[in-house]
Formats: sequence, structure tokens, C-alpha cells
Amino acid sequence: MRLKRPTSTNLILNLLVGICALILAFPLVWIVMTSLKQQAEVMTWPPTFLFVPTLDNFRVLFDVAQAGATSYGTIKVDFLTPITNSVVIALGSVIISLLIGVPAGYVLARRDIPLKEDIAFFILGFRFAPVLLVVIPLFSVFQAIGLYDTYIGMIWVYQVVTLPMIVWLSRSYIEEIPKDIEEAAAMDGAKPVRVVLHIVLPLLKPGLIGASLLIFLLAWHNFALGLILSSTKAPVTVALLKLLNPGVQFYPVMAAGLVVTMVIPVILIVIGQRHLERGLTFGAVK
Amino acid sequence: MTLQSSTSQLASPKDKAVTSAQDSRLDWWSIAAITPAIIVLLGFLFLFFYGVFQSLTDLKFGRPLVHFIGLNNYAALIKTGDFWNSVRATLVYAGSAVLAQAVLGLALAKLFATDVFLARVMRPVILLPLVLPPMSVALMWTTMMDPQNGIMNYLLSLAGISRFAWISDPNTAMFSLVLIDVWTYTPFFALIIFAGLQGINEEIKEAARVNGAKGWATFLHIELPLITPYILIAAVFRLIESLNQFDIIFGTTQGGPGNSTSVLSVRAYITAFQNLAFGRGAALMVVNWMIVLIGTFAMVKLWRLVRQRVG
Repeated sequence: MRLKRPTSTNLILNLLVGICALILAFPLVWIVMTSLKQQAEVMTWPPTFLFVPTLDNFRVLFDVAQAGATSYGTIKVDFLTPITNSVVIALGSVIISLLIGVPAGYVLARRDIPLKEDIAFFILGFRFAPVLLVVIPLFSVFQAIGLYDTYIGMIWVYQVVTLPMIVWLSRSYIEEIPKDIEEAAAMDGAKPVRVVLHIVLPLLKPGLIGASLLIFLLAWHNFALGLILSSTKAPVTVALLKLLNPGVQFYPVMAAGLVVTMVIPVILIVIGQRHLERGLTFGAVK
Repeated sequence: MTLQSSTSQLASPKDKAVTSAQDSRLDWWSIAAITPAIIVLLGFLFLFFYGVFQSLTDLKFGRPLVHFIGLNNYAALIKTGDFWNSVRATLVYAGSAVLAQAVLGLALAKLFATDVFLARVMRPVILLPLVLPPMSVALMWTTMMDPQNGIMNYLLSLAGISRFAWISDPNTAMFSLVLIDVWTYTPFFALIIFAGLQGINEEIKEAARVNGAKGWATFLHIELPLITPYILIAAVFRLIESLNQFDIIFGTTQGGPGNSTSVLSVRAYITAFQNLAFGRGAALMVVNWMIVLIGTFAMVKLWRLVRQRVG
């Protein structure tokens, strides 16, 4: 039932919603604008809202060969490598998490094994793991066994973030599939493995795609693990911080870098808003 | 007749044997399916305990001999003012951020639950701050809070307020960081409270209205008690994460200016990876973890209490 409101109340409510949306969206709009400005325009006071856009800042980020031919002097920025690193690490983490997490989620949803609830709780506990406390000892371990600054090492350590999430999400998605379908197939004589592969998995596909989007996002967000456990294989979030070092005059290039890191998440909202909402609030709301 | 009975006699135990074999085989399948995930996570659990152990040693990077020194790291820590300053900074940051987010998140959720035209259209915007990398959020606000020519000071000047130092002054740095955290994570509260609001039966509200309850009274005495468990569970999640917050603080102030925003996680990083005192750094993280544990425990207790009362 929707209640009828007077037009004036309606107008005020719309206005308030608009203001909230503006507060949430304005910083992003401003950063996009900054990334399209010339160096001189960024430094002016008062800040300008109208200007001739330029892609120069993005060129500085990516055009390693031509570094030096810009208004920033001879600054070399290699932003392509960290982006590649982030994509490789995030995709690798998603694939590994799916491979070992979904079977675990299925077992926790459908099968009876000893200590099931304890195991489920143990896995959820990692949502709150003090990452730095794990990383401090890991640093020496990685140095010792040669995993420091390797993709394999990074993908493995990212599992501390992505794996618990995929286990819990796939468990909750599997619980939503009616059990009767599986039982009927088993009654018809299908083997358990076939039931899972040919009946559960296709039904699970939309949920798994959503969960994959979310854990890709979580992997994309990560900063501390890359900062400590890698140097040449560092993700894009670590490369961003380095753009700040040269000082104030680097703002427009940093803004361009920020835009690059923000594009993927914003695209993900467009494709999977419903799944992201569910994943981001997961654990608090079923 | 004899043949038949003997086959039936034979058949039944064999059937049983088949099903029990199938059962135990199923079980092995299940255990095989869950084992890789458990092994990976047990590895992290082992590292966690190894970290706790390191906090009891004098481990420094490059030092060949490591001694077990018991609680000496902790004893040395609690004697320094810097340590207590970090504890205070951690609690102030997390406490004020979560409190502000709960209040603003409730307001935002109520606003979007009105379901007016713009609320329906703008719904995805709520997600925006949550999907950005926290490091990008930190650097975005660093740019905007630049005291010389940042947009924030320009907006303040439009309102006739003179320049604000934001993250570059010890007196305002913590406030600025809390502001960034609030901008980023208020939507988290809003989403969860929104889900809670939608779960409230229209009939309950209708009954209250028929009985003459005014809008404000309906909210205070009927809606608020029903959504308090949602607010508290969101607060548990946020409290844990903001007590552990590293990215936003490291990306903006790195604990400065001076010591003003040096929360435990940032101090632990600097101790372990810039001063290379791994044992001391691990000890700081153990303290941080215990604060998280105590805070979570208290919040969960409160949540249980409220849920019992609401029923």
C-alpha cells in the first residue's frame, strides 16, 4: 500500500533525495573533471567548472615511450603494468576461489558431514581476519620460499579475502535452489556428480556470476597485501599511492589514475547492482 | 518357492550393502570437495598463530638470532605514550565513524524508503562509494581536501567559511578522516536498514495509524525497535572493519600529521616494515585484534539483548 502525500511533501522529499545523491556522486564527478584538466587549470583559485577537456593526463599515465614530452618534465609513469597485475591477480583469485570454494559451499548447503556448522563458522570468521597480523609473518615466509612478488603467491594470499566470501555466497545461493529437483533426478537414477554438474550448476549460474563480480571487486580493492608482499607485481592500488609522492603538482595525473581504478567498479554496478547489494551486505542481511 | 525366498533373503542384505556403500562414498565425495578450501584457510590460521608467536619474540628483519622474550614487547609498548595515543586514535576513529554512520544511514534509508520518484531512480547511487577501492577513495579526498586549492575549501568559502586545514593539521586530521569514512560507509548502513524497513509489515504500521499514532510516534515506538537489530548488526560489521582500517588512513595521512591519526594498524605497519621490528609490529596487531574481539563481543551481546526484547 502506498500512501498519498501532498505534492509539497513529495517535492521536498525528492529534493532531499537529490541532495543526498549529489553528495554521494559529486566527488566522483569532480575527480573526472580534474583528470581532464590541464595542470594550470587545476592550480587556479577559484576552481573552474568550465574548461577545455584534454586527455593529456591519461597519456602521461600510459605512454611510457613518450615520457618527458609533457608539461610535467621528465616524469616516467608506468601505469599499464600495475593494471595488468591487478587484472591477473583478481581474475586468478576469482578462478581459484570458484574452483575450491563452490564445492565447499555445495557440501555445506546440502550434505551432512561432521562438524558442519563449526566449519561454516570458521570460514565466516575470515571475513573479520586481521589481515596485517597474517601478513607480518607471511612476509618472511614468502621471502624464504620464493613466493614474494610472484603472481602465484599473490593469488594464494588473496584467497584470505575472496575464498570465505565465495563459500558463503555459493552456499546461500544453493540453499535457494529447491531440493526436490535434485531428489527427483537422483530418483531417476542420475549419479550425484551428474546431478551437480547438469542440474545444480546451470541453476546456480546467475548467482555464481554475481558472486564472481563481487569477489573480483574485493580483489580489485585490496591494497595492504600488495603493498607488503609484492614490488614489480604490485596491484594498481599501490601504484596509485606512488603517484602522490612527487607532490601537489601531480594531482591531475593522479586523478586520471583514480578514474582508471574507478571505471571497473562503476561498470560492475551497471551490470550487477542486485548481486553487489546482496554481496556487499552479506552476513548482515540474508 | 525355496529359490524365491533365498533370492529375497540374499537381495535384502545386498541392497543394504549397496546403499551403505553409496552413503559412505557420498560422504567421501563431500569431504574431498570441502578439503581444499579448508586446507587453504587453515594455512592462514596457522600464519595468524605464527604472527601471535612472533609478537613474543625480538624478531627484526635481517637479525640472524631470534629470542623468545615473552611479553617484553607488550611491556615495552604500554610504557610509551605513543602506544596509548594509537589506542585512543583507533577507538576515536572507529567509534565516531560508526556512530555517525548509524545515524546518517538510518536517515538515508528512511529517505529512500519513501519511494518518491528520485528515490527509485537514484537507488544505484547509494552503492557508489562502496564499490570504489578504499585507496582510491582516500586519494580522491586527499585531492579534494587540499588546503591550498582543493574543492572542499572552495565549497566552504561559498558558505562564507574561511579556509580549513583538513588532513594537514593535527587538530583537524582525525575529523577529516572520520568524514571520509562516513562518506564511504554510510551507504552500507543505509542498505541494511533499508532491507530491515522493507521487512516491516505494512499492517503493523497501518494498525498504529488507525489507532491514532502520529508519523513520528509510529517511527519511534514501532519502526525503530523493529529495525534496531539491523542497525546493530551493521554496526558490528562496520566496527570490526573500521577498527582494522588501514587503507583510508594510510592513503591520506599515513598516521600524521605528528601522531594525530596514527591508529594501531598504521603504527604496526610502520613498526614492522619501516623500522623492521617485526616482533613489535606483530604485538601491536595482536593488541588491535584484541580490541576488535572485545568490541565485537560487546556489540553481539547488545544485539542479542535487543533481539530478545523485540522478540
